[in-house]
Order: sequence, then structure tokens, then C-alpha cells
Amino acid sequence: MPISSFYGLQTSLRGLLAQQRLLDTTGHNIANASTQGYSRQEAALVASPALEIPSGGIAGGAGAHLGSGVDVQAFRRIRDQFIDLQYRGQNTNLGDWNARSAGLQQAETALAEPGENGINQQLSEFWDAWADLANANGSDDVVAAKQAVVEKGAALADAFKTVRDQIGTVKATSYAQYADLARPASAGDAGGEVAQIAKDIAGLNDTIKRFITTGDVPNDLLDRRDQLLDQLSEYGQISVDGQSDGTINVSFVDTATAGTTYPVVTGAASVWAGPPAGDAWSPGGRLGALLELSKPGGTLDGYLTSLDTVATNLVTSVNAALGSTFFDAGAGPAAATFDVAAGVLANPQSIDPGSGASGSRDLALAVSRLRDSAPVDGAYRAFVAQVGSNTREATRQEANAQVLTDAVENRRQSVSGVSLDEEMSNLVRFQRSYQASARAMSTLDEMLDVLINRTGKVGL
Amino acid sequence: MSNRITTSMVQRNVLADLNAVSAKLTKSQTKASSGKEIARPSDDPFGTTQAMSLRQTLAANRQYQRNVQDGQGWTDETESALSDITANIGRARDLIVQGGNDATDQTSRNAIATELGQIIEAIKQATSQSYRGSYVFSGTATSTRPYEQGADDSYHGDDGGLDPAIPGIVRELGPGVTLTLNSVGKDILGEGQSAGDDKVLDVLRDAIDHLQAGDGASLRGTDLTRLDANVDHVLEVRAANGAKASRLEAASSRLQQTEEATIGQLSTVEDADMAKTLIDLNSQTAAYQAALRAGANIVQSSLMDFLR
Repeated sequence: MPISSFYGLQTSLRGLLAQQRLLDTTGHNIANASTQGYSRQEAALVASPALEIPSGGIAGGAGAHLGSGVDVQAFRRIRDQFIDLQYRGQNTNLGDWNARSAGLQQAETALAEPGENGINQQLSEFWDAWADLANANGSDDVVAAKQAVVEKGAALADAFKTVRDQIGTVKATSYAQYADLARPASAGDAGGEVAQIAKDIAGLNDTIKRFITTGDVPNDLLDRRDQLLDQLSEYGQISVDGQSDGTINVSFVDTATAGTTYPVVTGAASVWAGPPAGDAWSPGGRLGALLELSKPGGTLDGYLTSLDTVATNLVTSVNAALGSTFFDAGAGPAAATFDVAAGVLANPQSIDPGSGASGSRDLALAVSRLRDSAPVDGAYRAFVAQVGSNTREATRQEANAQVLTDAVENRRQSVSGVSLDEEMSNLVRFQRSYQASARAMSTLDEMLDVLINRTGKVGL
Repeated sequence: MSNRITTSMVQRNVLADLNAVSAKLTKSQTKASSGKEIARPSDDPFGTTQAMSLRQTLAANRQYQRNVQDGQGWTDETESALSDITANIGRARDLIVQGGNDATDQTSRNAIATELGQIIEAIKQATSQSYRGSYVFSGTATSTRPYEQGADDSYHGDDGGLDPAIPGIVRELGPGVTLTLNSVGKDILGEGQSAGDDKVLDVLRDAIDHLQAGDGASLRGTDLTRLDANVDHVLEVRAANGAKASRLEAASSRLQQTEEATIGQLSTVEDADMAKTLIDLNSQTAAYQAALRAGANIVQSSLMDFLR
């Protein structure tokens, strides 16, 4: 069977076109070297279907396949789905400790310990004032000492109030952040971060599905969807369920109750309906940490309770030692509402520092001896130590989670990231291949030139 | 380590390392500039409680020192009054001896009686000694003058400090350690003839009566004996007061030593070790600069530099 003289031209052309696609892909990779979430792509080449030469076409009488060049089979993105899973797991952890340490550090700052402005110092000055009253000689001294006791008492109550308010604010802010992140979309409201990510994933699902069903693989759309999943994984533990039509179903997974899930995206629809009633869930991640910090009975609530206990102990023990009402516990959380009793505040001279005559100071002495007592100073120190170790733990865990997340991200970049050196060497390689294909075409052209223009011209 | 090192990995790693070194550097700088090892409880939760506890101990110690100073003022005033009283009683004794001599005529005895009357007033005046507005001999009734001038010899203070049931003027010298400072006027001078308690006022008033009656035998006999017993008693009270003063003195020096020790402990827990901090700071600065230089070199060069 004769083979066309132009057969080789076609083969070279295929080569030229394929090298062009390779160069295009390299250009795309270089252009996206800094794009977040981009995974490098490669053009998969395959030898094009060979020309079949029937039996007897070659010497020896057998048939044969004559190579016809190259074709681009697919444009693939290089990505390891398992590393994605690991990354999201670590990212959930990082989001958790990150939110936790931020909240705890704020609570810790509110304490202003150790230092000259914390409750510890105010307590110390308060006990000093009582001891001075116990020492006071003469009516002028006593008048001044009683005034000082009332002022220090009021300052101490203020210090408790300020610290409690600040921790309360951290708690309220944490809950507000949580509620804002998890807010579902409603009419006229795009919803919180989770709802917006859910909407974007659902939109991408819809587009991707249309390409996948026609056999097309929209690499860059898949990258964007994976990146959205990465973002979502910071907020809570997610499970991703891939469907045959290319869409994915995404849901939050309860970290406390196995098997309980909260759907975020199903196919092309965003189905995020917000947290369950009463926030009765443990999603992990940033949402879980913020909820854990701010919920009733949560970490910050525990701090407030501890502070209230110290305040109650202070009120009780001072009043008991004095045998009359100096502090009024107030109605509500003790640390926020206790204060020097109104009668004493209005008339500091009504304080009776002793049970006997004008010079007896046994009651004032008894109050001053409460200094460094276990229920007040001791309990407060234990509280500060607890806040300190919780914060330290959270900060250390955050650093750990950061290191682990970075390590996984490094592995992912190692697989999917664009290496400019590699792209440069590919560029050289593909350019040479292109040049060689062009040279092959020129050679065929010269051959045909000889055949067409010179053959048969004899003796001219 | 991964086989394939991509451009963004290199950049991320350089950046992460720079951040880590820079965070350490910042921490060391804070330590060096503030001089504090513990800036917040999470830096060292245990150290924080220790520091807070030591601060409270220090404040208590300084308060105890103020208590001691106050107590020393009180015992000083008491001592000066008691020495005054002792001198007056001595003068009274001389006069009684002189009046008891039968060679002394009635006119002189009457003159001596008048002088004894003045001495009684002087002794009462001495018990009105006050420390910063508090009468030191009135028990806990510190705003009441213990004895009024004139014929009324009754004691107007209370028994605080004398009777164990009523606490007196008490100063705390240490955790749980208290000292009763006051000496009670009634214990020293008594309540005069109406009480008949053989105390100073009773004896002196009797002596005046005996002088006016010309009863030399009683003056020489019982009056002198009873007065001598009182001289002994005043000396006992002075000795007790002196013991209190020396106990305060001892407490003061002990508290000063404890204060220094506590300040030392607080500094160990709370203050930064400057030598170590500065060495850390220098080595971290060097590490930071090295990281910057290395990063700049790695990130700069690529294959592009070598291809035409």
C-alpha cells in the first residue's frame, strides 16, 4: 500500500501543535505560580493512532503500524486528595486553638497581673487600710483611717467590676463572632462566612457538573472549590462526599457525637440552616472554640464564676470579721455588683473598728488579718494561675497546630505547587521540541521541493 | 523532606522561619526593656502566683513595720511618763521621811502636805501623756483622760489590757503575733482613798492626812512601807514596758531582714536575668540577620538567572 508523500508533514504538524499546548500549559503554570489554591497542570501527551499498513506492505509480507505523531490526551491538575484531607483536619485544629488562644489572651490581659494595677495590689492596699485603722491613734487619725478604708474598699469593688466587665466583654464578643460566622442566609442577608462559602461551593458544583457530564474536567474550577473547602475547614470539622456527577456534598461533623452531621451544601444547593437549636453541637474548629469559650458553663463563664466566688468570699469574710455590714453583696453576679454598703459609703465614720471603748481596734485588726487568707487572696491567685495555664496551653497548642498545618501545606505544595525552576527547564525542553518538529517539517518540505520542482528536469 | 521543592515552599519556609526568629527576638526585647521575666500570667502561671503571693507577703511585712513603729512611739511615751511618775514618787518619799521626823513642827508639816498635794497633781498630769492624741494610760478608752486634776481620784479609763477578758491596745507584729502595748493607769496609781487600794494616790492622800494630823508614827511606819511597795510596782511596770520596747526593736530588725529576703525572692521569680536576656537578645539578633540574608539569597536566584 502506498503511503502519501505528505504523511510526514501531518506528523510534524501534530508535534508542533502538541509542543505548543505544552508551552501554553507551562505559561499557565508560571502565570499562576502565586495563585492561592492553584495546582499545577500538565498536558498529558499520547502517541496518536498509528497508520496501519496492511499485510504485504513491508518487506517480508507482514503488516505494520507507522507512527503518526502525538496528540494531547488531557490537561491534568496534579493534586493528592489525601493530603487535602490531612490539611483540612489540621486546619480545623488550627482554627480551634487560634480562636481559643486569642480569646484567652484577651481575658488574661484584663487581669493585669502580675503588676501594680491588678486586683492583687488593690487587695493588698485594702488590707493595709484596715491595718492602718487598727493602728490609728487620736480622733483625727481615726477619721482619716476610716475614710481611707472606705475609699480602698470602693476601689477594690471597682477593680473587681472592671475585670469582670472585661472578661464579660470577651465572652460576649466571642459569642457574637460565633453567631456572625454561623449565621444562615436569609432574604436580604447573604448570611455569615459559612453561608457565603456554602453558596460559592453550591454555585461551583452547578458549573462543574455541567462540564463533567460532557466529559470535560474544569481544573481551575476544581481548584477554587478545593480552596473554599480549605477555608470552610477552619470553621469546623467537615466531611466531603464526592458524587459521580462531579458535585460534592459538604457537611459539618459533630466532634462529640459520632455520626451526627449538619449539612452545608448538597449538590447545587446551599442548605446551611445555621447551628442547631440551643447551639447544642460541637463542630470543632473556630466555631467550636468560640462556642466553647462563650457558652453558658464554658471557659469564660467559668472564669466569671471563679471571680464571683472570690468576691463573695471577700464580702462574707470582711463582714464576718467586722461583725457588721461593710460590703453589700448586691443583687446579681457578686464581682459585678458588690460594693461598700450605702450606709457606710455615706457615713464612713459609722464604721466601728473595735468592740470596746474608743481605743479598741480588735474588729479592724480582725479584718486586716484576713490578708492572704485562702478564700480571698488564695482563691484569687488560684484563679489567675488557672487563666495563665489555660492561656499558655492554648498558645502552645496553637503553635503546634501551626507547625503541623505548615508541614501538611508544604507537602501539598511539594506535589501541587508550581516550581519556577521546573517550569523554566520545561520551557527550554518544549521550545527545543517545537524547534525540532519545525525542522522535521522543513526537511519534508525540502524533500518535496526536490520531488516537485527538480524531478524530471534533465539537461536544462 | 519532600523530593520536589517548589518556589512557594521556599518562600513560605523562609517567611515562617523569619516570623519564628522575630517572635523570639520581640520577646527577648520586651524582657530586656521591661526587666521583667513575667509580663503576663501565661508566661509562667506558677511563677505568677508565686510573685503575687510574695507581693502580698511584702505588703504585709511593710504593714507590720508600720505597726512596730507605731508601737515604739507608744512605748516611748509610756516610758517617759513612767520615769516622770517615778521621779515624783521619789520626791514624795523624801518629803514623807522629812515629815515623819518628829523634829519637824506642824507648820512645816502643813507646808509639806501642800507640796505633796502638788506632787499628786503632777503625777496625775504625767498619766495624761498621750501618743498622737491617744491617752496611753486609759486602757482602750484612749479618748478619755485617765485622771482629772483636783480632789477626784477616780480612774476614768477602762481595764483594757489589764483584764485579759478585755483586749487592750494591740499591735500585730507578724502573722498571728500580737503585742499588748498599754500599761493601765489604774494599775499604777489606783483610785484614791475611797477605794483604799494601797496604790500611790491612796498612800499619798493618807500621808497628807497624817501630816496635817501630826501623826509622825504612821508617816514613818505604814506610809513609808506602803509607798515603797508602790515604788517597786512602778519599777515592775517600767520593766514590762521596757521589755515590750525591746521586743518591738527585735521585731523591727527581723521584719527588715525578712523584707530584704522577700524582695530578693520576688526579684528571682519576677525579674529577668539581664545577663542571660542580653546574651539571648544578641544571639537572636544574629540569627535574625542570618535568616534574612539566607532568605534573600535563596529567594533571589532561580534558573532564569542562568538561562540566556
